[in-house]
Amino acid sequence: MSLQISDSVIWQETAGGISLYHAETGDFHTLNETGSRIWELVASDGEREPIVAKLSHEFAGDNLAMSVRVLKDVQEFLGSMIERGLIEEHPA
Amino acid sequence: MTRAVVLGGGFAGALAGAVLARHADDVIVIEDDHYPSGPRARRGLPQSHHSHVLVAGGARALQELLPGTLEALFARGAHHRRLPGDALILGAAGWFRRLDTGAYLISCSRGLLDQVVRQRALGAVSTWAGTRALGLVGDARRVTGVSVRREGAAPETIEADLVVDATGRRSKAPRWLAELGGAEIEELTVSSGLAYSTRVYQAPAELAGEIPAIMLHPRPARGRPGQGATLFPIEDGRWIVTLTGTRGGEPPADERGFADFARSLRDPIVADLMAAATPLGGIRPYRDTSNRRRFFERARLPAGFVAIGDAVVAVNPVHSHGMSVAALSTLRLDRELTRRGLDPAAAPELRAAMAAEAESSWRMALAQDAGPAGRREATAFEREILARRTRALLSSPELAAEFFRAQTLLPARAAKDGPAVVRALTGEPDPLLTTREAVMQYPALHAWWDALTRVRGGREPSLR
Ligand SMILES: Cc1cc2nc3c(=O)[nH]c(=O)nc-3n(C[C@H](O)[C@H](O)[C@H](O)COP(=O)(O)OP(=O)(O)OC[C@H]3O[C@@H](n4cnc5c(N)ncnc54)[C@H](O)[C@@H]3O)c2cc1C
Repeated sequence: MSLQISDSVIWQETAGGISLYHAETGDFHTLNETGSRIWELVASDGEREPIVAKLSHEFAGDNLAMSVRVLKDVQEFLGSMIERGLIEEHPA
Repeated sequence: MTRAVVLGGGFAGALAGAVLARHADDVIVIEDDHYPSGPRARRGLPQSHHSHVLVAGGARALQELLPGTLEALFARGAHHRRLPGDALILGAAGWFRRLDTGAYLISCSRGLLDQVVRQRALGAVSTWAGTRALGLVGDARRVTGVSVRREGAAPETIEADLVVDATGRRSKAPRWLAELGGAEIEELTVSSGLAYSTRVYQAPAELAGEIPAIMLHPRPARGRPGQGATLFPIEDGRWIVTLTGTRGGEPPADERGFADFARSLRDPIVADLMAAATPLGGIRPYRDTSNRRRFFERARLPAGFVAIGDAVVAVNPVHSHGMSVAALSTLRLDRELTRRGLDPAAAPELRAAMAAEAESSWRMALAQDAGPAGRREATAFEREILARRTRALLSSPELAAEFFRAQTLLPARAAKDGPAVVRALTGEPDPLLTTREAVMQYPALHAWWDALTRVRGGREPSLR
């Protein structure tokens, strides 16, 4: 599946993390450090699997339990971003 | 035999009377004041001397409640102005371009609006003018009627299955309910600090019907009073000019001060138009503009009672919402009564429905007047986006539609074009219009303005 930042979003890297503005709802969001990293990977890679693999490598190394945790966190984060219309998912 | 009694025969009361006549065998409207025979302001409605425009959401509701009312208003000289398609507006960031957003307003005197509405609303209703409501009758479980006094007569009781309070901003219903043993009603007042001064003019013939609605918003400056003006065309070739100012910057009500205030605004066009027109009557001040809400829906109250209109929520008049909220609420009352019948026990649902109809207007008013209390300081990113929005609003059809539709209580467009908004916010903004360019959008006004500029030796009144 390919992931894409919605055309309705304006975003910017700031000192406190990534700041988002959703032009349809008028809502602002600020992402924490992990969220900001995932967002950057969506912007650069645009595929779910490579994003999970990269993050798993960065945060869990060879630790299997940690990889499972990272996988769960990433899926949860992407799920909530998709639900709010900030990220869109399309069949590759 | 079922009976409903409406207390107050103002805008909300007249409409409520019309709707109740569809659901009750007998409807009585109790009005303290005497209605004027013509389309004039009246004593019981001090605000009727000031600008009263009906925004699109309310106009639609009024037409649905009483079909043909808008046509009747236009036939009597009311004006239709699209926002900002037929309105010359100086917003926070500059002049608006003419855009079609679906939003509009209807402008005429409050006296005319009330007269046309009364004629169409009160046909099937008994109206007791010159009769004051003194209190409610019943107990803590159920309101069974009202106590009233006709001029010069002793108090009498009218029994009712449903009593509707439409006595407006200064409603005494909380006290009346407490006298029956009802619970206390939470009340919230948020001062707007806004003061009005209004004068009516006979327009110069060449501009009378052709003039756009004109609105000069306050200069955006923190910590300084906000001062602005509106000019609306009304029936009979007249204009109604209202100057507004917040605390410390109230508009004067004397001749000289009124003119000087208009001239000191960000643009002198309203002052110039005033100078070209003939004043009709004096300048009238108005100060009671706070936002006030009575939370009837939160209290345990007797059956058989509901409030509507300003008695429930009265917002800062600068939003021009009051009459529209009353019309939308009456439409909702009609639906609820169709569903539930005229059942005194359904009163809590009716009270909740009236509160729900007023909610979005109340929120908009509070967002402006209650300030950011409790909210954190905006980040640099948020400030940047909001500044871009304010600027892009002047020329982006998408942003303007969102803004003006919300302001005029129309539902948001179903499909929002997010990417178009993003382009408007991130692209190079359209250049700001000069006053000349803004005025040129309206040929008749432009011809007049050009002539004035020539008289002044080519010196254009400049944007401050
Ligand atoms: C300066 C100003 C400008 C405004 N401009 C606009 C605008 O542009 N657009 C807009 O939509 N709204 C505007 N409003 C708001 C609008 O005036 C009100 O929302 C509207 O009048 C509310 O109608 P209502 O019937 O609830 O109350 P009201 O119109 O106040 O009517 C209440 C009625 O009850 C009667 N009454 C009171 N007490 C008793 C009693 N004890 N017994 C019997 N009768 C009684 C009064 O005589 C009156 O007729 C403005 C308000 C102000 C103050």
